[in-house]
Amino acid sequence: MLIGGLLIIVAGLMAFFPSMSDSDTSVDWISLPLVGFPIIVSCILLAFASQETRARKEVIAVPIRLFTLVASLIPLAISTALFFDWLILVDWDLMYNEYALEKEYVWIESIGVSWHVGMDGLSFPMVWLTTFLVPITIITTWNEKDGATYYPLLLMMGGALIGVFVALDLFLFYVFWELTLIPMFFLILKWGGKDRRYAAQKFFIYTFCASVIMLLGLITLYFLQPEGSGSQYGTVTGRTFDMTVLFSNATAYNMGDSVFLGKDMQNILFAMLMIGFLVKLPAVPFHTWLPDAHVQAPTGGSMLLAGVMLKMGAYGMLRIPIAIFPDAVVYYQDVIMAIGLISLVWGSIVCLGQTNLKKMVAYSSVSHMGVILLGIASMQPIGYAAALFMMFAHGIISPMLFAVCGAFKHHYHSMEIGAMRGMAKWSPFLAVYMMFAWMASLGLPLLAGFVAELMVMIAFWPEYGWWILLPGAVLAITAAYYLWSMQRTIFEGGDEGQPPESLNGETPPDITLSENIGMIILAIFTVIFGIFPFIALGMMDQWTVAFFEGVFNLGGI
Amino acid sequence: MEVEVFSNDFWKAFAPETILICGLLLIFIIPNLGNSKFRIPLTKVRVPWFLGGRRFKLTGSPAIPGILATGTLFTALGMMVIEAIDGKMDTTTVVSGDIIILQLDNFSRFFEILFLAAVLLASMASLDRIPAHTFEGKKSLEELYDNRRQADFYILMLTTAIGMCTVALAQDLFVLFVGLELASLATYVLVGFHKESKSGAESGVKYFITGSVASGVGLYGLSLLYLEFGSLQLHEIAALWSESSVLGLIALGLVLVGFGFKVSAAPFHFAAPDAYAGANSPVAGVLATASKAMGMIGLIRVLLVIALPETGEEESAVWLYTLATLSVITMTWGNIAALGSTNPKRMLAYSSVAHAGYMLAAMTAVGAWKWGEVDAPADYADTIVAAVLFHLFVLVAFKLGAFLVLGLLEMEGGASRLSALSGLARRDPLIGTAMFVFMLALAGVPPLAGFMSKFLVIAGIVSTSVGELWMNGTVSFSDLHWVWWLALAMFVNSAISVFYYLRIGVVMFLDVPEEGRRKPLPYGASIRMAIWICLVATILLGLSGDTLIDMCYRAADSLNLA
Repeated sequence: MLIGGLLIIVAGLMAFFPSMSDSDTSVDWISLPLVGFPIIVSCILLAFASQETRARKEVIAVPIRLFTLVASLIPLAISTALFFDWLILVDWDLMYNEYALEKEYVWIESIGVSWHVGMDGLSFPMVWLTTFLVPITIITTWNEKDGATYYPLLLMMGGALIGVFVALDLFLFYVFWELTLIPMFFLILKWGGKDRRYAAQKFFIYTFCASVIMLLGLITLYFLQPEGSGSQYGTVTGRTFDMTVLFSNATAYNMGDSVFLGKDMQNILFAMLMIGFLVKLPAVPFHTWLPDAHVQAPTGGSMLLAGVMLKMGAYGMLRIPIAIFPDAVVYYQDVIMAIGLISLVWGSIVCLGQTNLKKMVAYSSVSHMGVILLGIASMQPIGYAAALFMMFAHGIISPMLFAVCGAFKHHYHSMEIGAMRGMAKWSPFLAVYMMFAWMASLGLPLLAGFVAELMVMIAFWPEYGWWILLPGAVLAITAAYYLWSMQRTIFEGGDEGQPPESLNGETPPDITLSENIGMIILAIFTVIFGIFPFIALGMMDQWTVAFFEGVFNLGGI
Repeated sequence: MEVEVFSNDFWKAFAPETILICGLLLIFIIPNLGNSKFRIPLTKVRVPWFLGGRRFKLTGSPAIPGILATGTLFTALGMMVIEAIDGKMDTTTVVSGDIIILQLDNFSRFFEILFLAAVLLASMASLDRIPAHTFEGKKSLEELYDNRRQADFYILMLTTAIGMCTVALAQDLFVLFVGLELASLATYVLVGFHKESKSGAESGVKYFITGSVASGVGLYGLSLLYLEFGSLQLHEIAALWSESSVLGLIALGLVLVGFGFKVSAAPFHFAAPDAYAGANSPVAGVLATASKAMGMIGLIRVLLVIALPETGEEESAVWLYTLATLSVITMTWGNIAALGSTNPKRMLAYSSVAHAGYMLAAMTAVGAWKWGEVDAPADYADTIVAAVLFHLFVLVAFKLGAFLVLGLLEMEGGASRLSALSGLARRDPLIGTAMFVFMLALAGVPPLAGFMSKFLVIAGIVSTSVGELWMNGTVSFSDLHWVWWLALAMFVNSAISVFYYLRIGVVMFLDVPEEGRRKPLPYGASIRMAIWICLVATILLGLSGDTLIDMCYRAADSLNLA
């Protein structure tokens, strides 16, 4: 049966890459190393692990954990090397709708689907972030129970997420978009908290419902495109799912060269696509799945969920609807601004009332995602660059927040903010990391979060004027709930502190070495990107400028 | 090519079907071979006659019918696949005088492959599900009983297959009806075959009664059609058909009842959940896939070949709106009823009702195209029909697969409660994963076959509603044809359906196994093999369905809708 499973994988691979023998002989750095390898390795590991008995699983968890760590370092090494041009010279100075390391293989001929991957300034930071977070997550949750299946699932999650970011074909994008749900569903279901059954189902159903509406929008858009001929076009339908073709059609229309869609059609399609992305983001009316999923998810799941999965929403928005329907963005500008502002305000006000540490952090994610929407609604190049940098910075800071929450839960068996007092006495390391992460998240200068928030504010002013006081005030609320929760957990409780009752009088332990390593790496990178934001920001700036030239027909910042 | 019945070319063209009939005869004959002798009257000479008497040990083995049936089905299927896959099939028409009886073309061959694949997988599973006990010594009453029903079961299986093939081939509504009844009667008995539980016999009777009422109504509709048009030949009625004939419309409605029952479209679906829940799982799987496809052939022949709305005719609105309403009611009813059912077999039955709704929606789109409301060239209709065919075909992979997993659970006693599945992933990770994959495919999660099929159906509907609008320049939302809303209804419904498909996954992966089900699952080599085939097909047809899509497209093309 195991052989059968392996055969499926091999056959699936062969089905995936039917025409590997391209005339283009350059090495494909994306398909296999970044996407295929993690998914295939994790499938094989899961197939092996599932055959073992419970006792054997405990034994093989250790080598599997090591192996997954090594396997997850390979994509990280490759993506880092691609950034620094160690492997090949990659030209990141791209025009709009140009992609580095682009590769295309025909996949489903009849409806015009191809395995088309490539990266640009929008996707590369996200890809690097994913490859970076997977090993960090594995290290931080080094002692997770039932590790023989847990670590491969994290690896698979990483592969699927990278797939979302590198896909340049709508069909492929949707496939990976949904594929990310499955490992996360299992992570919540098998390693989650008490209400994991409810949370896992809610998470899956909520995001699935939203993405089917998005899919209907994509299909309608697909058929509204002009027919064409060529290898990307379907032999039966005569249309193509290729994003690059779609973008160039859209650009031609937006420049007034050809006719594309009516205004109302654009607005409706834009709204349909945005629903899928707003739920994933999540923005306020659609955010209720997030606190449940986060609170119940295991630490590793939360780290990847907050770190990368939420950014899929923002990435998708910038990649598809905004790029295709710039007029609709202008039409909906105030709506997007309102949703962003409501997310920001609502998220932080709800945070104030939380007694559960993890829930508070989850709602703070909602609030930070509102900042991204504000950046998009500002319609300024700097706002878009800020949104990109916010995605990146939040992708580094929020895993740290959840790592702290996870360590808290792991060592004190409680998530209540008031349960542990005087943590600085018993767990100095955890107290320091908590303070650091909280400060980073509330936007302390010289840390990564500050740069993004400042840039959003700058972009917000010319468009909306004195409305800026509202997000400004919210940042003060953010500081309030973070500082207040810190005060209650770290400092209060007299000289001896007040160890949580759930420990039954045992001495509260400090965090383990692996948690220490994971968190310190995250902290270092938070500082690096806070002091030298241009490492990532340069690429994002270039992308934004090209985007504004190509989509909105505006030059320069 | 036109051939006369029983001519040389006839046998050449219908070799696979002939093999089926020979296999059926062999199952009749071989278990009955014995040492009986026939005494020539008035003499004392006894001639060996071999039929009856004391059975030979080898041929009398209770395992023989199952092996024969599976082998026959496999051979016939293999021949068909080899013939169909290269796409260079000749159309063979069987005529008798000026009446066209059967027609062998891409369309009918496609459905024959579908039927045989479903019945083959079901009979492979039945080898373990209803095992033949061949060991020596004293047998319990149940084991003896299992042995006694072997031949009956596989005879009925093959009869079902032959009846279904006849439906696929028929070019005359009467022949179609005969095939339909042949298959139906066999399935009525098969449903009642689940004698371990009381509900088996009950559901068999229920299915039989409702089924025969539906057939009766359908037959009455056929007779009215004959009264109106003076012929039951498909091509003749199609030529004579006009929407203004009231009698014709009434007849059409009555025929729809008959076929609607087979595809389990609301409001004719009430027997389906009972029948599926009562039947043993492989049989229920055949009902949900092959039998549904058989009803779908009827609907395609009657609705699309005969009664497709004529361009611009006012009366056709009845056709369109009825079908659209039916489809939306069917899919919604099926999904909402499935939400509340805790019996996995009932749940799958309701989900199959919902799937019938999806296919009806696609057929509405074909009607809208033909009615001329949509400005689109002819190949749009083919695309939609091809999507329906694709959907019917891949259902064999994952819906039958899900039923087979339930069949595996039935082997250790019952799969009629959700808790029977609890902890399945822990007891047997691979079977649990397979079931989860089937559920995800049913829900339409990429990259599985279920996603591909739902995607194609919806793409077909949307393509009709959009048509060639892009040529006109600026497209406004109100330019889209209203069938676009059917696509939205489908999506809303598949979002609802995720609830109950996911519930199965949660029960399998999270819950602890119930008392008495802690041991490993029973080992059945051939049922597991069948499940594996379904699983591989579900994944592979999702990843690269090009060959199948081409096949479906050719099949739809040979209907000559345009």
